[in-house]
Amino acid sequence: MDAYTIEKKDMKILLKRFQEDYKVFGPIKPGLESKFDEIKSIEQLHLDYISTVLPPKKFFHPPKEAMFSYKIEKGRFTSKEIKQNEKILIIGIHPCDVYALLKLDKLFSGDFKDPYYQNRRKNCVIVALNCVKPSEYSFCSSMNTGPFLDKGYDILLTDIGTKYLIELGTKTGEKLIEGLNLKKATKDNYHEKKRRLETSKKKIKKSMDALKISRIAQKNLHHEVWFDLGECGGVAGSLPCLSCGSCTFVCPTCYCYDVYDTVDFSLKSGTRNRELDSCQLLEYGEVAHGGNFRKDRKDRIRHWMLCKFGVAAGGSNSSCVGCGRCIRVCPSKIDITAVAKAIGGG
Amino acid sequence: MNKKPKMAIFKFTGCAGCQLEFLHLEDEFLDLLDLFDIRYWKMIKRDNDEKEWDISLVEGGISTPREIEEIKQIRKKTKFLVAFGDCAIGGCIPSIRNWTPQMEVEDYVYPDTSSIHSMKVTGIGEYVKVDEILKGCPPHRDTLIELFKSALLKIRPRLRKHSVCVECKFNDNECLLTSKKMACMGPVISAGCGAICPTLGRVCEGCFGPMSNPNAAALAEIFKDMGLNDKDIKRKFRKYAGMSPEFRMEAGH
Repeated sequence: MDAYTIEKKDMKILLKRFQEDYKVFGPIKPGLESKFDEIKSIEQLHLDYISTVLPPKKFFHPPKEAMFSYKIEKGRFTSKEIKQNEKILIIGIHPCDVYALLKLDKLFSGDFKDPYYQNRRKNCVIVALNCVKPSEYSFCSSMNTGPFLDKGYDILLTDIGTKYLIELGTKTGEKLIEGLNLKKATKDNYHEKKRRLETSKKKIKKSMDALKISRIAQKNLHHEVWFDLGECGGVAGSLPCLSCGSCTFVCPTCYCYDVYDTVDFSLKSGTRNRELDSCQLLEYGEVAHGGNFRKDRKDRIRHWMLCKFGVAAGGSNSSCVGCGRCIRVCPSKIDITAVAKAIGGG
Repeated sequence: MNKKPKMAIFKFTGCAGCQLEFLHLEDEFLDLLDLFDIRYWKMIKRDNDEKEWDISLVEGGISTPREIEEIKQIRKKTKFLVAFGDCAIGGCIPSIRNWTPQMEVEDYVYPDTSSIHSMKVTGIGEYVKVDEILKGCPPHRDTLIELFKSALLKIRPRLRKHSVCVECKFNDNECLLTSKKMACMGPVISAGCGAICPTLGRVCEGCFGPMSNPNAAALAEIFKDMGLNDKDIKRKFRKYAGMSPEFRMEAGH
């Protein structure tokens, strides 16, 4: 497909076009703790951001959502699905987060289809942004999920100095920029993109041998690392885990959720909701009569890490994309790449 | 529908803020009166009946021998006893005085201490069996409503006791601990408030008490690395739940 360029100062033209058909969301602050929120004017858009607190997962698998309402009348139950049909466009998603969405797509459209997720996903256009400024916590290159993107986008932007290179991934993307009279991309533009990819790669400091760790971790279920993380000591300069759950909520691929009902005072109607849950919380493994599959902190932190290493839940597919959010947000400074190295898969 | 469940609300050593929170339900309050028969509530009723109750909410900790006797009587007459708020659960703010000798504390307040019969403050669970706890100083009104509805449906209320961090993340907040190096209690404190303080840029003070299975030792260590001294750290853990087994060590027992 054709590629184009646009001057950075002309980005408002692109934004205006997007806003014609979509509610546009993007990073609203610079820096590491940015946030995806609605973009109403170009001044709000900060494509120079490094990372966000919550990943774009929040648009598709939100922290809290109502799934359907129900009522009982004359002894008969009826339910009504609550559908979200808003068309949205997210601009500025980094490659790691796009790969995370691809992983979630696979999960939510497998044997058990998730209509809530799929519906939201269907109504969304992805305008991705190649990452030229990886954070000190990133290790996407180890996970093959960045810093540059080759799939999963409708439109892909790359910062090439005073301009953005615009590449198109789908018909939707193509249609969106139709008639804007953008300049066609030249060989030089592509060359600059490649150069920036190389510099970006060099900025990534952390690493993890994804294949090796998935093999090794499985055989090290009783490694002392888990005890150090759960109870005392910590690993590689960290403190032990607090079980606060922050790592899982900021993770772009953690999908576990809890389902519960909110009943009205009439006790005859209500809504069924779902809310993100975390395997780090004690209640997660709780079953009837007070039983709990993961009562110990070490079991919980091990479970999460193994899931990210690609060992849990059937294995073979690491659910980590190396965005580094869990490392940044951990009050105890637990670093998943350091844990991998401590087990011997680094 | 069956007969309305009989309810009673009591107060011991506390500030009456939990009862007030109940009154503040406002929009739902009249609905509740349709569903429950409030038989005993001195704050709002002139005529109170002391027979038996299906559900009793008890606010405040126990701090005198008379209160021990009273809470035991209440237990006897109640089917389902709720420790309503942090004071009833573990003493909360009134229990800060437990770390100062009794004589000294009494002298701070009373010119003549000869008629004072006060002891260390504890939660009601020290003396009677508690069926459910509502965390918070005061508990959030949503948790109250959840408890009432569950009581009517005779199911277990969904009162999650995970960390404040969970709700903070739901709000897409930047972490005060890791980003701003502020001494936030969030990682060991029970959620339920909707992370109000951190969302407004203020550290969590810990008013909902310990979360389930907190790692207080690790957080104390983090505070130490930030430069807080031992005294400050102890004060932080003492403030709302110093008597709880989860914070005992860090509060300096």
